[in-house]
Amino acid sequence: MAFLIDLTKCIGCEACTLACKQENGLPPGATDKLSAVTWTVIERHGGVNVKRQCNHCVDPTCVSVCPVAALQKTSLEAVIYDESRCIGCRYCIMACPFSIPKYEWFSTEPRVRKCIHCFPRLERGEQPACTAACPTGAAKYGKREELIEEAKKRIAENPGRYIDHIYGLTEAGGTCALYLSAVPFAQLGFPTIRTDTTYPHLTWNVLRQLPSVVSVGGVGLAGLWWITHRRMELAEERAQQAAEKAENEKEESK
Amino acid sequence: MKRLAQIPRWWALTALILLVGAYAMWIRFTGGLGAASNLHDGFPWGFWVGIDVLVGVGLAAGGFTIAATVYVLNLKKYEPVSRPSLLTAFLGYLLVSAALVVDIGRPLRLYHPLIMWNPHSVMFEVAWCVTLYTTVLALEFSPLVFEKLGWHWPLRAIRAIYLPLVIAGVLLSTLHQSSLGTLFLIVPEKLHGLWYSPVLPAFFFVSAIAAGLSMSIVESFISSRVFSRRLEHDVLLGLARATVVILGIYVTWRFADLATRGALHLAFTFSQQSVLFWAEIGFGALLPLLLMLLSGDKIRERNLFFYALLVVAGFVLNRVNVSMTGMRNIETYFPKWTEVAITLVFVTLGVVLFGLAVRQFDVFAKSEYVEPGTTTRNGWFPKGSLIAVAGFFVALVLLVRAAPSRAELEARLKPAPAQLAMHVEPLGDPNENLPQDLTIPSGGNSPGKVVFSHANHIAMQEKVSCMECHERTFGMGFAHSPRLKGEQWHRACGTCHDGKKASSSVSDETGESCSTCHQSQ
Repeated sequence: MAFLIDLTKCIGCEACTLACKQENGLPPGATDKLSAVTWTVIERHGGVNVKRQCNHCVDPTCVSVCPVAALQKTSLEAVIYDESRCIGCRYCIMACPFSIPKYEWFSTEPRVRKCIHCFPRLERGEQPACTAACPTGAAKYGKREELIEEAKKRIAENPGRYIDHIYGLTEAGGTCALYLSAVPFAQLGFPTIRTDTTYPHLTWNVLRQLPSVVSVGGVGLAGLWWITHRRMELAEERAQQAAEKAENEKEESK
Repeated sequence: MKRLAQIPRWWALTALILLVGAYAMWIRFTGGLGAASNLHDGFPWGFWVGIDVLVGVGLAAGGFTIAATVYVLNLKKYEPVSRPSLLTAFLGYLLVSAALVVDIGRPLRLYHPLIMWNPHSVMFEVAWCVTLYTTVLALEFSPLVFEKLGWHWPLRAIRAIYLPLVIAGVLLSTLHQSSLGTLFLIVPEKLHGLWYSPVLPAFFFVSAIAAGLSMSIVESFISSRVFSRRLEHDVLLGLARATVVILGIYVTWRFADLATRGALHLAFTFSQQSVLFWAEIGFGALLPLLLMLLSGDKIRERNLFFYALLVVAGFVLNRVNVSMTGMRNIETYFPKWTEVAITLVFVTLGVVLFGLAVRQFDVFAKSEYVEPGTTTRNGWFPKGSLIAVAGFFVALVLLVRAAPSRAELEARLKPAPAQLAMHVEPLGDPNENLPQDLTIPSGGNSPGKVVFSHANHIAMQEKVSCMECHERTFGMGFAHSPRLKGEQWHRACGTCHDGKKASSSVSDETGESCSTCHQSQ
C-alpha cells in the first residue's frame, strides 16, 4: 500500500501531523520538522506545503543496513521497527537517502523513531491516520500501482498544473510515497538521489562476493604456504646435500 | 635517575586522562548519547566511529599482514615483528569493542547481531568478523601466555592449528577491513565525490595494509626508546619496501578511480574537501612515497620513522575524511570534549596495557634486547618528526577554515526555493471531509456547553481556507487540550469574534448574548 501526496492540494493545515501524534501516542509540539516525536510534518517551502514522512521504499535502505533486522518491510509495504532488537548503531539514520529515521539522543534507552505507516491500523484494514485526517485529499492512501496510475492520470488531465515527474516512482528504486508537484522537487528540499538502483544493491553487490573471497582466499593462502614451505624444505635439502658433498669431497681429497 | 624522574609525570598524565574520561563516561551512561556528544539526527556518526573504530581497526592491520608474511609466506626474518604487531592488533580490537560499547545506543545488546541475523547488512558482517577476529587474535596471542605459565599441552594444541588460525585471521581481516569501506557505499550523495567510490572497500583494505606496516615501523622505534628493544635495519628496510609498493598501488589506484569517475576536477576546485584531499594524498601518501623511494636502501632510521609517521597520519586523515569531513552536514558537527576524552581513555589504556604485556610476556624475542644506553643514538627523540606532523595539522586546519565549505558550495548550485500560488481545490461536501463537531470542555461557571462546528464556520467564510484559523490561532490540538480555561477560549475565539468580524465573544462589552455560542442546559 502507498501514499499519493499531491502538493498542489495541500493547504498546510497539519491535520495529518496531529492525527499522527494522536495515533502513535507522541507528545505534542515540535511540528516544524521531522523528529523523534513528529513522524509526519508539513514543511513550508515558499508557499508550497510539503508533507513529509517515511517514504516506505519498495526496497528499503534502512531494512538492508540494520545488523539485527530491527527494521522490517511488511507485506503491507509498511517499514516497521522492533525496538527490542535495536542495538542503536544508527546505521539506518546514516544510510537513509531521505534522512527520515530520527533518534532519541537524550535517552539512556534510546529508540529509532519514524513513521510506521500506522501498521496496526493497516492490519485492522484501516487507512493510516494521516490520510484519514487529510481534509483536502492531498494525501491519499491506496495500492501503489493504482496510485501511480492515478498520478499519471492527474498529470495528463491537468496540463500546466503539474510538472511531469512523480517523485518516488523511481527514486531510490521506487518508494511507497508518491509525490506530485507544480514546481521541480529540488526547489522543495527533496533530495536528488539515485534512480537507477535501489540503495541496498550498492552494498549487496560487494557483500555477495563474501563466499568467493573466503573460498578463493582460503585456498590461495594455503597454496601460498605450501609453495613457500616446500621451497624452504627443498632449499634445506639442497643445503644439506651440498654440505654432505663438500664433506665427502674434503674426505676424498685427503 | 633521569628516567625515573620522568615516570611520575607520565603517570600523572595517565591518571588525569583516566579521571576526565571516567567523568565523560558517567555523562555518557547517565545522560545518553546526546549529552556526551555533539551527534544529532543530521550527523549520526562522528568521532567515535571515525577515530575509535575506523582508525583503530585500520592501524591494527599490521597484525594480520605480518602474520601472513611470517607464517604463510614463510619470511621468517620478520618473526621479531610478529609478536608486537599481534599484541597491538589484539589490544586494538579489544579497545574497538570497548569504544563500541560507548558508541552504540544500547550497549547491553552488543551481542544481538550474533543471534539476530541480517546477512544483507554490512554492519552485521562487520560485527561477526570483528568478534571472530578478536577471538582469533586472542588464540594467536595465547602461546605467549601459555609459555609464561608453562602449560605445555595447550601450547602444543595451539601450535598444531596455528597455520589455519593465521589463514582464518587473514581472511577475516580482509573481509572486515574492506567492509568498513563498504559501510559507506550506501551513502552516494552524503559522502563527497573525492572519497565516494564503488571501489571504496578495496581502498580501505589496501590503505589499511600500508598503515599497518607503517605502524609496525613507528612502533619499533617507540619500543626502542621505551623498552630498549630494536629491530634490525634489514627488517625495517623490508617493511619500508613493502609500504612503498602498497602505497604506490594505492595512490595510483586512487587517482585512476577519480579519473574514471570523472571526479578529478573536484580535487582542483578550491574547497575544504579538496584541501583535505591533498593533505591526505599529498602529505600522507605521495610525499612519504617519494621520500622513501629517493632514500633507497641508505635510508636513515630516524627519517624512516618520520616517513612512516606521515603514512599513519595520512591514513588517519583518510578515515576522518570518509567518516566525517567528507560527509554532508559536517558543518553541523564538531566533536564535544566528552567524545575526545573517552577516545583518549582508550588510547591511554592501549598504551598502558601494551607496556604491561611487554613486561609480563616475551613479546620481544630475546635476541633483540639491546642494553640500555646502546640503543639508537643515545637520547635520540623524534622531536623534529612530531613537531613537523603537528605543524602540518595546524596548517591544515587553518587552510581548511579558509576554504569554502561543502554547504556553501552546494548552496550556490541549489535552485531557489519555490514560489507559487497553490491550486487548492474546493473542499467539496464539507460534511464529508471536515472534522466532526467539537464539544468544547466546559468550566465550572460556564453558562452552557459550546459546540463548535467546522461546517458552519466554513459556510460563513467567503473563501474556504483552513489556514484562516489553523495553525496560528488554533493549533490542531487546541480543542483536545483539557488544561485550557474559559478565558483562553474566549481570547482565542475572540480573534475573529470581536464584534466586528463576527459576533463578540465577550458579552458585557457589546451586549451580545452568551447564548450565541453557549447552549442553555
